[in-house]
Amino acid sequence: MTTRGARWIGAAALTASIVLSALGQLAMKNGMRHLHLAGAAEIAWPITSPAVRAAIFWTVLGLAAYGTSLLTWLAVLVRYRLSYAYPLLALSYVLVYVGATHWPQLLEPATPARTLGTLLILAGVALASLTGERADR
Amino acid sequence: MNSLLLLLAVALLSASQVLQKVGASRRLAGTTKPAQWIAALFSPELLAAIACIVAGTALWLAVLYRMDVSRAFPFLSLTTVVVMAASRWYLREPVTLHRWAGVALIVAGIALVAST
Repeated sequence: MTTRGARWIGAAALTASIVLSALGQLAMKNGMRHLHLAGAAEIAWPITSPAVRAAIFWTVLGLAAYGTSLLTWLAVLVRYRLSYAYPLLALSYVLVYVGATHWPQLLEPATPARTLGTLLILAGVALASLTGERADR
Repeated sequence: MNSLLLLLAVALLSASQVLQKVGASRRLAGTTKPAQWIAALFSPELLAAIACIVAGTALWLAVLYRMDVSRAFPFLSLTTVVVMAASRWYLREPVTLHRWAGVALIVAGIALVAST
């Protein structure tokens, strides 16, 4: 641990990975939603349809956030065991759920079963990650 | 169709995690210079990891085209189960009962979200 830089670098990389992967999912979903709205007839070259342009914008933005999260994730993997770090990534499920049901662009329906299921996953993540044993490498 | 796409995406993204961990341990650990990091990115392990993630992400976009993200995303935590098993039996990391109990809760949560 000490040979691999200060402790805060690992924590910052982990936080960035969780937040960026959630933002990436929401942006990619919004891109696919615009593509859905566009319909097959509008998908043509050159790109003039506003819906197709919005689809490309959000998908590329989502992929960029996702790609950046992969780089920060490598910084996490150098420092922690996979079996410790990977379950923590599931914290982004909660961020995606709250974002998808509250972001005006998406406004997906929040159902009791989905909310409870997402909370169960979070409880599972806490149990799997926070066991107090050695987490490094 | 949706479940086939989801399962294929989970398989590819899980494989990528294991390859990334192997690459990070073998190639990135102990490096200090940016030139070494770039060389590590082009190692077979990390190139394979990137290929798996690109293919997995393409399939994932097809899933998002068809499903709500609040419903589809929890299914990605199946990856946690696969990665935990691979950590234990392939990477030989110690995995405690606590962690398996956590995995069981995650599976229960996915089942609940899937039922909606």
